[in-house]
Amino acid sequence: MIQLKTLLNCIDNSGASIVECVNVLKKKRPATIGDRIVVVVQKQRSAGSEATTAAALASKVRRGDIRHAVVVRVKKELQRPDGSLVRFGDNACVLVNKSGDPIGTRMNGVVGQELRNKKWSKILSLAPIHV
Amino acid sequence: MAALPAMRPLGCLRSLSLSNPSSTVDSFSTAYSKRPERVPLPPNMPEQFLSQIPLRFRPDPDREPLKIYPAPPSARKACKDPVGAITESQLAVLDPTGERKAMFDYRRNPRSVKTGDIVRVTFKNGDPFNGIVMSIKLRGIETSFLMRNELTRVAVEMSVKVFSPNVNSVEIVQRSEKKRRRARLYFLRDKKHDRRSVENIVASYVRQKKAFLGGGNRRR
Amino acid sequence: MSPRLGGLLQLSPVWGAPLITPRIPVRSFGIRSLNPPKPSRFNIGPGLPVLESTSTAALRRKANSLPLRTGAIGIKKGMTAIYDPESGKRIPCTVLQLDRVEVISHKTRERHGYYAVQVGAGWKHPNNVPKSMLGHFSVNGVSPKRHIFEFRVKDEAGLIPVGQSIEAGWFQEGQFVDARSNTKGKGFAGVMKRHGFGGQDRSHGVSLTHRSMGSSGPGQGGGSRVYPGKKMAGNMGNTQNTVQNLKILKVDSENGIVVVSGAVSGPKGCVVRIQDAIKKPWPEVPQAEATEPATA
Repeated sequence: MIQLKTLLNCIDNSGASIVECVNVLKKKRPATIGDRIVVVVQKQRSAGSEATTAAALASKVRRGDIRHAVVVRVKKELQRPDGSLVRFGDNACVLVNKSGDPIGTRMNGVVGQELRNKKWSKILSLAPIHV
Repeated sequence: MAALPAMRPLGCLRSLSLSNPSSTVDSFSTAYSKRPERVPLPPNMPEQFLSQIPLRFRPDPDREPLKIYPAPPSARKACKDPVGAITESQLAVLDPTGERKAMFDYRRNPRSVKTGDIVRVTFKNGDPFNGIVMSIKLRGIETSFLMRNELTRVAVEMSVKVFSPNVNSVEIVQRSEKKRRRARLYFLRDKKHDRRSVENIVASYVRQKKAFLGGGNRRR
Repeated sequence: MSPRLGGLLQLSPVWGAPLITPRIPVRSFGIRSLNPPKPSRFNIGPGLPVLESTSTAALRRKANSLPLRTGAIGIKKGMTAIYDPESGKRIPCTVLQLDRVEVISHKTRERHGYYAVQVGAGWKHPNNVPKSMLGHFSVNGVSPKRHIFEFRVKDEAGLIPVGQSIEAGWFQEGQFVDARSNTKGKGFAGVMKRHGFGGQDRSHGVSLTHRSMGSSGPGQGGGSRVYPGKKMAGNMGNTQNTVQNLKILKVDSENGIVVVSGAVSGPKGCVVRIQDAIKKPWPEVPQAEATEPATA
């Protein structure tokens, strides 16, 4: 149930940490796993112990950037064809460029299996686990 | 009876003086009384009398009584609970031994899966899922159970239909330490009660099981 | 004024008449064609094309959308799910039961103007059946039925003999049907529930009309009237609804059970009419099966 103003975690190493949904693409309903959305980067990922300048250099996006993203986890339960339901603890997404390739090179966190049916195999291969 | 105006208020007492039980008391009866038999028309009635009777009461020697045909055998009587019959036929295919039904029938089977247990579910296609059982819903063919786990620090809940052909097996990894007082452990979602990840417990169980099975293979 | 006077004079040749009964002009309302169609006396005949507004033309137009064979009356018994063993897919389904479904009579082109099969289901105590209906059942040699419906068919080939019972095996697993039934009655419902209106504000000066429909139309510019068909509050539900293209998942002839995919309108126990789907190819009925019950 990702719609206008929803805040999502960004789980790739593109540099964004929290993004806000501003549009759901190709759909009149709230987005779910595997849907493409437009987001605004709200918070950049701070590198912690490393110097902030280095982190800023490493990050590919900045605060206020408008980017495309793919939803990979949702709190709203999803029903699978065999009747089982899956529900995650948070809403999360991965930033992609206009052609649909992920901006980050690594991902940390579990993603939903529905990405396979929606032809996001590149994201699936980056993810450590999929459920 | 013309009464004096001063006597008029006492007029209400007049009925007492007039009371005659046999004529004023009306009696009604609800007792069953037989329907009176129809009196047949006198034979050889002249034509002028017959023509005065409504058409439907006039005697008609040619008219036969309506023949009422008996109903064929009823499917409704043969099968009172069609939804149950469909469920039974489904269960006979999906769970011929009744093993799965017993495994989750926590009301009757003491050895069944119970809420609070840690289970491991393997699927025909896809990775196994481990988790602590939060609730079991007994709904015939729709019987399902809800598991909760934490993967990469993200809570994941999965509800699985017990009789789904996609489910390969369900193993109980660990029983809950103490008796649960609730049927549904939705409070596990609260931060205070969250059990976090059960991956370590399941991993050690899988290691033990592998070692055990491996030993068995060597003996053979 | 002068022409009207002249007309009046012309129309009343008898001088005494207008004095006794004053002439009241007949007013006509509504829209009238300026040049109404004039049927020609000579445009009728066997060799000429069929006129569009005749029953023959109507039947010809409907020929492609009328099923070849009759349907059946079922009772909705509830919903459950069926698993596809190969793909592991779960399909929600509705369970219908056919109870003593029999053909009562036929409607024919010659007598009634169209072809249809009158089908009855269930059983009703003869004491509770009107005499006219009892006579109808008696003449056709069937027991008194609780539910009676007609199923239109394309031509006389679809008129199966009177008295033949329609079992669950009439439908084949895998074929598609249309299910027609009455929806659940919701009683007198407001516009928000019935038509999905937005309602009005909770506050901002709105008082007591938070769920009402607001205006029912324009004022002087729109004719100062409410247009026909204006969506308003009223009775909702308990209207006929057809769900098209439901797949038959399972058939149990012994118990009269037909399982169709998806949902069917109405509560449990409601009467559902199922007939071959008009938007799918007609099911291939084996010839032997089709002719065998006819002879029996």
